[in-house]
Amino acid sequence: MMPRADTLSTKVSRRNVVLIAAGLLILVGIVVVALAREATSRRLVAAAVSRPTAPTRPPLTRAEETYIQALWPIHGAVERSAVRMSMGQIFYVIKDMGQTELKARVDDALTTFQRAEGQLLALEPPPSLQRAHDDYGAAVRLFHKSAVEVSKIFADGREDHLRAAYPLAQEASNTIREIGGRFWPDEFPPN
Amino acid sequence: MMRGRIVRVVAALAAVAALGALVNVGPLAADNNNDNDNNGGQHRPPQTLPQGFETHRELLHDAIRSDEAPDNSAWILESSRFMGVPFRAFMPDRGDRPTVDLPVNVGIIKGPDGKLGVYDTGWKQLHYIFDLNTSCCWAPIRQQMTAIGLHPDDVEWIVIGHGHWDHAGQISEFPNAILYVQKEELKQIDFFLNYPDTFDGGHISAVNTDPGGCARSPVCGYPPQTVNEILGKVLNHKAKIVDGRHEIRRGVIIHPAFRGHTYGSQLLQVNTPRGQLVFGSDTYSSWEGIRDWNVANIQQTDTIQQMLAYEKCYVLTSRPGDKSFHNCVSAHEPLSYTASYPLTSTWWLIPGGNCSRAAELTLANGERSHVPNPPPRGACTPVIPPH
Repeated sequence: MMPRADTLSTKVSRRNVVLIAAGLLILVGIVVVALAREATSRRLVAAAVSRPTAPTRPPLTRAEETYIQALWPIHGAVERSAVRMSMGQIFYVIKDMGQTELKARVDDALTTFQRAEGQLLALEPPPSLQRAHDDYGAAVRLFHKSAVEVSKIFADGREDHLRAAYPLAQEASNTIREIGGRFWPDEFPPN
Repeated sequence: MMRGRIVRVVAALAAVAALGALVNVGPLAADNNNDNDNNGGQHRPPQTLPQGFETHRELLHDAIRSDEAPDNSAWILESSRFMGVPFRAFMPDRGDRPTVDLPVNVGIIKGPDGKLGVYDTGWKQLHYIFDLNTSCCWAPIRQQMTAIGLHPDDVEWIVIGHGHWDHAGQISEFPNAILYVQKEELKQIDFFLNYPDTFDGGHISAVNTDPGGCARSPVCGYPPQTVNEILGKVLNHKAKIVDGRHEIRRGVIIHPAFRGHTYGSQLLQVNTPRGQLVFGSDTYSSWEGIRDWNVANIQQTDTIQQMLAYEKCYVLTSRPGDKSFHNCVSAHEPLSYTASYPLTSTWWLIPGGNCSRAAELTLANGERSHVPNPPPRGACTPVIPPH
């Protein structure tokens, strides 16, 4: 017996409703599973640590900005000379560099540090940065002192001078890193 | 006439073929300095230094031989954690979430004699770590080690995966330890330190010369402070400058991964009860990257070399019929200290460690567990130390 047309249409529309409902259920299921997964993975990664809140940086004044900009090229030269001298000492001690080449590096560094000291004297920091300026100047003088100590090796060949110079350069490095971190926070992002 | 033309063409082609056979120059090679005589037929990739290349056979030999060496115990701890790093900046092929938190992992290895070694040292530049507000959870490494029951004065050797400051920043915390660093790493720093900035504006440099300049370039990241950490060891004759593979002792072997991240990157193979572990620093920035063959931490010098370094882990840690990536130890894997990175799933918050975490990777026979019972986990609020 053939089904009547209205019965057929009711059956079709019922089938449609069932199909749509099933489709919706599947979609809701997917969303629920996705949300649960997301929540789980976030929980796994975050490991229940709340983020620390860093103090917000007050915006720089024009005078501060000008000073920091003027300090930048000095900082770059000091930093490069300091690392060049350190690398020179490493290669010298492991016998990959001779005295002549090391001396050239140390002489360059002495010139750079001396020039930087003069350039720093010419800068006029705003009162808010006076302390950082003084600290930076002291760090450059320490680098200079360290280079002078290193240069003594050319007179007597004793490596003790390098060891005596080391803590001076290390202290100076710490200082310019701390100041650099405040003035140029993007200078050394994570590698 | 046609037939004669065909014969002439065929004869000409035959002559060319014969000539080609006579003056056969072999397959095209980008590197004609490729001495493969002792490589068991495995070719050294182009532009790869001989001392930076190890064949599968050599690596398998190291794996098999180390299996018979005494077992070591191993842990990792996080020096700090970068918070909210854009995921695609870390892994361009991923980005399931917009940001991820990346630990800075340090490996600690305890030998059969009770002496310790560390792979990478983390860092301590607090202004940078905190003033940028990208990090949390830092604590001094000696304090962290003591808190998990390992004595920092027992550290006899340090291997740095590379010389960047978030990995080589606490070398001086172990004054008696011998430092192992690759010569290629030192040469790279020196070369790019002296690289002229005429045309690149300082973007190609070992130290920065322009705010934001070399920031995300591979050769950047060597401030004076970190280089001095290495210099301190050299001056005190506590540094071994190695050139390629180097065996520290049986079952503890340095493998070169040149240009896998930096020019002088190095891996560390360690024999343990769970097989060979391979610590990879930033060459193995992401364990998921190794598992899925995705690049990670896109500052590496050469993506091919990173993949070849991934393969080294597979060779050193797999067994016949069981290709495995499970024992590759990653420096910045976001899944570290979760069950999703099974090697690190036994983890706990370091007591007094400012929310930093430690994980016990494996214990040699006789070594007691360092995990508190129950392991402290749960909520934790890190603080920013005064600086």
